[in-house]
Amino acid sequence: MLAALPILWTAVISLRSYVDAFSVPLKWVAPLTLENYRGLWVDREFHRNFVNTLVVTLSVVTISLSVGCLAGYALSRYRGSLGFWLLIIALIFRALPHSTLLPSFHALFDALGIRNTLFTLVFVLVAINQPFTIWMLRSFFVGIPQELDEAAMVDGCTRMQAFRRVIIPVMWPGVVTTGLFSFLLAYNDFMLSSALTNADKMTMPAAIAGAITAESDALLMQGVAGAVSITIPLIVLVAIFQKQIVSGLTQGAVKG
Amino acid sequence: MKLRSFLGFSAPSVALMLLLLALPLAMTAWLSVRNCAFDMELATVVQTGPFGPAKVTTQRAKVDASGQPLQVCSFVGAAYYRKVLGLEDRADAPGGDQNEFFGALRFTLLYVAATTPFVLAGGLLLALAMNRVTQRLKGLFIAASLLPFIITPVVGALSIKWLFRDNGLVPHLLSGLGIELYWMAQAWSAQLLVVLYGVWHTLPFAFIVFYAGLQGVPQDSLESATLDGANAWQKLRYVTLPHLAPLVVFVTLIHVMDAYRVFEPVVVLTQGAFTTSVQYLTYHVLLQEDNPYKASAAAVLTVVGIAVLLIPLLRKTWREQRRGG
Repeated sequence: MLAALPILWTAVISLRSYVDAFSVPLKWVAPLTLENYRGLWVDREFHRNFVNTLVVTLSVVTISLSVGCLAGYALSRYRGSLGFWLLIIALIFRALPHSTLLPSFHALFDALGIRNTLFTLVFVLVAINQPFTIWMLRSFFVGIPQELDEAAMVDGCTRMQAFRRVIIPVMWPGVVTTGLFSFLLAYNDFMLSSALTNADKMTMPAAIAGAITAESDALLMQGVAGAVSITIPLIVLVAIFQKQIVSGLTQGAVKG
Repeated sequence: MKLRSFLGFSAPSVALMLLLLALPLAMTAWLSVRNCAFDMELATVVQTGPFGPAKVTTQRAKVDASGQPLQVCSFVGAAYYRKVLGLEDRADAPGGDQNEFFGALRFTLLYVAATTPFVLAGGLLLALAMNRVTQRLKGLFIAASLLPFIITPVVGALSIKWLFRDNGLVPHLLSGLGIELYWMAQAWSAQLLVVLYGVWHTLPFAFIVFYAGLQGVPQDSLESATLDGANAWQKLRYVTLPHLAPLVVFVTLIHVMDAYRVFEPVVVLTQGAFTTSVQYLTYHVLLQEDNPYKASAAAVLTVVGIAVLLIPLLRKTWREQRRGG
């Protein structure tokens, strides 16, 4: 459909050389070539960016979910007003434009010498992700009946034991959905990745930023190949996890 | 749950948010009223030139014991705010800093205002239409429609750029119709493209939410409406739409929040040429002009902007929640 048109076209021209991709007049059929991909992955060592993305994304998801599950669980079980205020503050942080944190990140991390590291990027992304994550996880945990963990506690478990034995086995559907959105946030991030890392530490989206003002045709076409390379895992993701994504999007709406 | 447990469980999350969200935000506010500059001194050095050694007086940075240039930081109050807001007339840059923030704010608001109606209307229409599509195709349809929303914004914006650039597919098709248009070359078309990206990107979200909402329209209300002789349009207006109303508010809220943060299309499609946004402004000042203090001022103003924008919407949602439950 129309929605997929830009992406499809990008995929098509990624397999052509510059001359054929943007020729005048436009060719509908043109010789296919893999040279853009080769130039990107081999010459410009895009595989390093791929590894960076992998590391960052997996770390962000794992840490985000671990920390978020605890908080989400707590928010679903605690009745005091402190929980309510935490949620409101999280909502406010969720609306915060990320660029407002950049000046201090830049200055702070430079001073501490930790700016160009994946480690820093991971934690920044986790923190930025937390508001959304705890909101989403909380509504999933609310759906798990309190009788389950209360019964465990009556049997003598501490809160933490109850959480581990009773809640963890049943929380996976909600966790998977939230994890998906966590993944998307980390995978798709551009502003923070490009501002906080340099060349070989960059994640994939930040790395193809060169294609924005491409000085050379080869660079531009490699950017096209990069765009497709970045998107293929996402397409796989949507195909496999479509239901979860949809439920995640609508769940926030239904429960407000 | 006891307070102690609550505090214990939520501590890691809260700690992270405090450390990496609240603290930097406070620090940005602090930075916005300061300026650090190198401490300069006059120095007389001996330079050897073609005519023999000569004494030259120049400015250079003071260095401390380890050879690092010294910085002097001081409180400058609202100086950078005035610059960013264009309240200062600079003799050396008459048109330069004028209205940087207001220009960014204006386009950001334009973007929000232009994308929202199309996202809502388009999402609604698509959801209504989808209701009639056969079951088998639905999965594929939904997956394809989700793509613009899931895709990396940079990639999405780049794809649109490549589609519309000189010698791209769209200009080619248009010139077949006799229209010669260089999209990136003038303000109105560049701005239109950014708005187009926004609609393309967010419509799937509205569509999915509305589509799910449509599944929940009470069937008996629809049936009694049909019995009362209502036609399709009336049923839509009096049964379906009121049912979807809270979802519309929800989508609007989320979209406004996200649209205010527009960044990628501005960077990718125009590099700040005809379009700009509040996030782009901070980013640009920080990384291009290399002025974290001015960038901080822009950042604080950005926060004020979103607060002003969101508070009425939030209050409305809040009231809606308390009423509807």
